[in-house]
Amino acid sequence: MTEKIKAKLAENILDKLSIDFLRGQVLKNAYGNDDTVIAGLDPRVLLLWYVVIGFLPWFTGSLWFLAACFLLVLATTMLARVAGLVLLLFGVGVFTQTGYLLIVSMFFGGNGSTVMPLLILTLKVATCSLASITVFSGLDPDRLSNGLMWYGCPERLSFSISYAYRMLPMLLEEFQNILLSYRMRGNPPAHDTLTGKVRYLIYQVKIIMLSFYPLMLNTAKRSRTTVEALEIKGYRYAAVNKEVKKMKLASLKVTYNDMLFLAVSFLWIALSLLASTVF
Amino acid sequence: MELGKKQTATQSQKLMIFVLTMALYGLATLFTELIPSYQIGVVEFSVEYFLFIPLTLAMLFDPMAAALGAATGELVFSEIMLGQFGGLGELEKFLTVTIGVFVAGRMVKNPKNCRMVGIAAMTGTGLQLLMGTIVDILKVQLAVEDFEAVAGLPQSVFATEGFAFLNDLLFSGILFCLLPTLYLVPKLYGKIEPLLGMRPRDEKTGLGGISLRVVIGAAIAFAAAAGAELLATGGMPLIEWEAEWAESGTALAAGMVVAALAAVIVLAVLRGKAGKGMAEKA
Amino acid sequence: MNIIEIRNLTYTYPGAEEPILKNISAEIEKGDFLAIVGNNGCGKSTFCKVLNGLIPHFITGDFEGAVEIEGVNTLEADVGTLACKVGYVYQDFENQIVRPTVLDDASYACLNYAMADYQERGREALAMCGLAGRESDYIWQLSGGQTHLLALAGAVALRPDVLILDEPIAQLDPAHADRIYGVLRELNEKYGKTIIVIEHHTEYIADYCRHVMLMKDGGIAWKLPTDRALRRVEELEACQIFPPQVTIAADRMEREGRLPQGQPLPTTVEEGKKAFGGLCYQPQGGTGGKYGEKSEEKTGKKEADREPAIQFRDVSVSYRSVKGEPRQVFRGLNLDVARGEKVALIGSNGAGKSTLMKMAVGLLKPKKGDILLEGESIRDRRTENLSEKVSLVYQNPEDMFIKDSIRADIAYAMEVRGRADWRERTEALLERFRLTHLGDRDGRLLSGGQMRRASLAIGIALNPGILLLDEPTANLDIATRREIVETLNDIKGITETVVIATHDMQLVCGWADRIIVLDRGVVAADGGRDRIFSDWALTETVGIRPPEIFAMGRALDQDARCYTVDEFLRGFRPVRA
Repeated sequence: MTEKIKAKLAENILDKLSIDFLRGQVLKNAYGNDDTVIAGLDPRVLLLWYVVIGFLPWFTGSLWFLAACFLLVLATTMLARVAGLVLLLFGVGVFTQTGYLLIVSMFFGGNGSTVMPLLILTLKVATCSLASITVFSGLDPDRLSNGLMWYGCPERLSFSISYAYRMLPMLLEEFQNILLSYRMRGNPPAHDTLTGKVRYLIYQVKIIMLSFYPLMLNTAKRSRTTVEALEIKGYRYAAVNKEVKKMKLASLKVTYNDMLFLAVSFLWIALSLLASTVF
Repeated sequence: MELGKKQTATQSQKLMIFVLTMALYGLATLFTELIPSYQIGVVEFSVEYFLFIPLTLAMLFDPMAAALGAATGELVFSEIMLGQFGGLGELEKFLTVTIGVFVAGRMVKNPKNCRMVGIAAMTGTGLQLLMGTIVDILKVQLAVEDFEAVAGLPQSVFATEGFAFLNDLLFSGILFCLLPTLYLVPKLYGKIEPLLGMRPRDEKTGLGGISLRVVIGAAIAFAAAAGAELLATGGMPLIEWEAEWAESGTALAAGMVVAALAAVIVLAVLRGKAGKGMAEKA
Repeated sequence: MNIIEIRNLTYTYPGAEEPILKNISAEIEKGDFLAIVGNNGCGKSTFCKVLNGLIPHFITGDFEGAVEIEGVNTLEADVGTLACKVGYVYQDFENQIVRPTVLDDASYACLNYAMADYQERGREALAMCGLAGRESDYIWQLSGGQTHLLALAGAVALRPDVLILDEPIAQLDPAHADRIYGVLRELNEKYGKTIIVIEHHTEYIADYCRHVMLMKDGGIAWKLPTDRALRRVEELEACQIFPPQVTIAADRMEREGRLPQGQPLPTTVEEGKKAFGGLCYQPQGGTGGKYGEKSEEKTGKKEADREPAIQFRDVSVSYRSVKGEPRQVFRGLNLDVARGEKVALIGSNGAGKSTLMKMAVGLLKPKKGDILLEGESIRDRRTENLSEKVSLVYQNPEDMFIKDSIRADIAYAMEVRGRADWRERTEALLERFRLTHLGDRDGRLLSGGQMRRASLAIGIALNPGILLLDEPTANLDIATRREIVETLNDIKGITETVVIATHDMQLVCGWADRIIVLDRGVVAADGGRDRIFSDWALTETVGIRPPEIFAMGRALDQDARCYTVDEFLRGFRPVRA
C-alpha cells in the first residue's frame, strides 16, 4: 500500500503537478474572486474580524463554541470562493499537524482521553486557518496590502505582497522553461521497478534544486531592471513620505456592508456563546 | 554629497538583493507548500530544504537584505498567497529564518573558501532548526491543557520534535542545504554580481564576521520570536476567563445576542435606505 | 531650442577598464523624433541612462562632463526630478511593470511623487497610449504589445517632455509594431514630446523618425536628418546597420549605373516609386518562376512518396484562464509536415505558433487528438525519449542554459545518454558554431549572437531529425541576424526537417520552402511564398507583412515577385527604348 503511494508520489512532482495549473490556481485565488461579498469588504474591517476570530478559539475549550466558530469561518470561506488548491492544502495541513500527533501519542500508550484534547486543538487550528484563508485569499492583494499598511505594517511588506503577485507568473514561466529544458535534454532513470522509482524521485528533486542555478542568474537580470524602474518611479521617495501613504489609503471606505458583516458575525458568536452556556 | 551618493547606491543594491531573494525563496517555499506528501512518514521533508537559496545569496551579497528578503518571501508567497497565514505565529518563522540566514551570511568572509561556506551553511540551518524546535515544544506544552496529564503526550512531543530536529539537521541539512550551497556559491561567485552591477565580495568588502552585537541581536530577536509564537498559540488559555462566563454567562450571552440582533436589523435597514437613495439618484 | 545638451561626457562603469562613453557632445532639439543606431555594445543604452539620471545617481562609476536637460544639470537634480523630465522604457519592459493592474501601474510613479491627481494622470497617460478602457485589467490579460504600451504609459504619466524607448518593437509582429510607432508619432506630433528610440529596424526609422544619430565605439559619429542619414549606406553597413531594402537596392543600382548618379536615394516605398519609376519588370525565368515550380514539385512529391515527419491529427488544446472559460488555442487542428521540408510558421503574436511547437516536442499534451512523429504517436512517449527525434530551441536562449558553461550545456544531453563520443562531438559542435574560445563561459554572459549560436548548438546536439526553432532572429541587430541566418542555412544541411516560427519575413522569404500561416489557431494559408504573399486579402487579415522590397516591387508592377534585393535587381531593368 505504502509502496503504491510512494510510486504515485514519484510520478507527481514534475509530471502531474503542472506549473500551469499552479499558476492558474494562485492567480485565481488572488484575482479570480474579486466580485465576491468578501472581496467587496473593507480590508481593515476584515483584518479586525480576522484578529478577533483568530483569537477567540484560544480562550475556551468548549466543543460547542469551537464548532460554531468553525462553521462561521467555513461559511465565509465559501463566500470568498477560495481556489480548490488552497482548500486542499488547508485540509492536508490540518491533518498532518494534529493527525500525525494523534497517531504518535496513541503509540506511546494514549487512549480515548487523548482524542478529545486533540480534537479541540484541531478545531482551534482549523478555525484560525480558515479565517486566514478567508481574509488573505478572499481579498485582492492590493486591498490587503493597503489594509495592512493602515494598521502600520512596514511599507516594504505591503509592497512585497503586491509585487509578489505581479512577479509570480513571470517567475513560474521562467522556472517552467528551465524545467522543460531539463525534460527535453535530460535522461531520467527508468522507473518501472521500485528502486527505479526511488531513483527517479531523487532525480526529480535534484533537477528542481539544480534549476535554481539558472533561475538565480535569470532573476538577477530581471531584478536589476525592476529596481532601476522602481527608483525612477519614486518608490524610495514614497516610502518616507507620509503624504503618499495618506493618498494610498484614501481609497479605503467602511460601508454598511462592512458593518453588517461584523454585526452578523457578532450575532453568530453571541448565539454560540449562549448555546455553549445552556448545554 | 559624495557620502550621500554612496549611501544611495548601497541602499538600491540592498533593495535589489531583497527583491531577488524574496522572489526566489518565495517561489521555492510555494513549491514545498505544494508538496505536502513529503511531510508524511518518518522522514519529514519541510520548507527548510530550500534554505540553500537565501544562504547562497546571503554569502554572496548583503546578508541582512537577503535574510529579510527570504523571510518576507516565505511570508508573502507561501503564507499569504496560499492563505496559510497563521497570524502572529508567523513572526516566529520570519525571525528564525532571518537569524539563521543572517548569521550564516555574516560568517563567510571569502566565498571562495569552501570550508567556511560549508560551516556557515550548517550553522545557519542548525540555528534555524534548533530555534524552531524549541518554540515547537513550548508551543504544544502550552496549547494543550494539562499537558503533563495527557497520557503519552509529553514523551511523544519530545520524541517527535527531537527526532525531527536531528533528522532535519543531519539528513536534509546536509543533503539539501549544505551540498547545494557548496555547489552554488562557487559557481555563482563572480557571475551573478556583475548582473546586479556589484563587485564580488572578498576579504576587504566582507562584513565584520560574528561580533557580540550580532549574537545579542540574534538572541533578542529569538526571544521576540518565541514570545510571539507562544502568545499566538498558547498564551491565552492562561487567562482564567473561561470559568467566569461559564457560571454567569447565560444572561450575558443572551444580552449579546439581543444587541447583535438589533445591530443587524438597524444596519440592514440603513443599508436598504442607502441603496434606495443611490438608486433614486441614479 | 535644445532640450538636451551634452558636453564632453565620458563615463566608465564601476570596475570597468575602458570608458563606455568617450567624450560625447551632442544637442537634441525639442520636439525631435530621434533614432539612435549603432552596433551592439556601442553604448546606446548607457547613453540613454545618462539622460534620465540613473547614471550617475543610481549606477555609480566615473562620470565626467555635463548633461543638461531643459537647462538643468543632471548632477544637480535627483532621479525623481529628472523622471518628470525624461521617461524611459526598457528593452525588457515587462520587468518595469511592478503593479498588478493597468491603471495602478500607470499612475504608480505619480502616486509615489505625491501628486494629488495621480489617477487622472494615469488615465490620461493610458488614453494617450491607446489603452483607454483597459484601466481595471490585470497585467497578464494584456498582450505583449499592450504591455509595452503600458510601460510607456507609466513613463508618460509623469508628463515628461522627453521619452526614451530602448528597442520598442524587437519582439512584436508588424501590426503591433505599427501600433507602438503610431502612438509614438501621436505623442510627438500632438503632444509635442521629444522621442528618442534605440532602433535596428531602419524601415521604421524611415517612416517615423526625423533624425538619426549613429553611435560608434562609445562616441557619436554623426546626427543627421533621417533621409540623409539612411542614404549613407556604406557607412551604416560598416557599423552593422542595414538601411531599408529600398535604399540598398537603389544604392546598388546607382553603382551599377542603372540609376542616374547623384540623385538622392529613396528611403521609403513612396520615394522608391519615383526613383525606380523608369524601370520595368521583366519576369525572370530564373528566380520567381523556378521557385514556384520547385514548391509545386515538392507538394506533389509530398502527397506521393514523402514520408511524414510531424502529423497533427484533430488536435485541440486550451489554456486555463483565471476567470471564465478556458482559452481555446486549437480546435481540431490538422497539419502535416513532411520529411526534409523547411517550413516557416508565421502569424501574429498569440496565433498559436509556440503552442504548436511545444506540442510537437511533447512538452504540452493536447486535450484531444493525436500527434505523430515519423508515424509514431507521442501520446504515451515521455518527453525525454523524444529528444533524439525532435528538438526545440526556445525564443529566449537564456532558458536553454542550465549549466555553468556552454560546453557543459552542449554536452549535457549526450553525456547523460552515455554517447560514447560525446566529448569529441561537443568540441566539433563548438567548432562548427565558432564557440570554441567561449566554451567555458556561462551562456547568459555572452552577446546576443553568441547566445543564439550556443542555443542552436544545444538544439542539434543529439542530431535530431526534426528541429523546431522559435523566433531565432528576434532581438538581434542586423549583423548578428545575418550571422544567424547563415547558421540556419548551414543547419539545413545537417537537420532533415526544420520548422521556424518567426515574424522575420526576410528570413521567411530567403529560407523557407513552405510557409504555414496561423491565425487564431487555424491554418489560414499554406504554400510557397508566391502563394502567401500575393494574396493581399490574406496578408491584411492575418497581420503579416512581406519584406519591404517585395512591396516595392509590387508597387511598381503588380506582377513582380521579388523577395530579396538580389531578385529585385535582377527583375527590374531600365526600359529599353
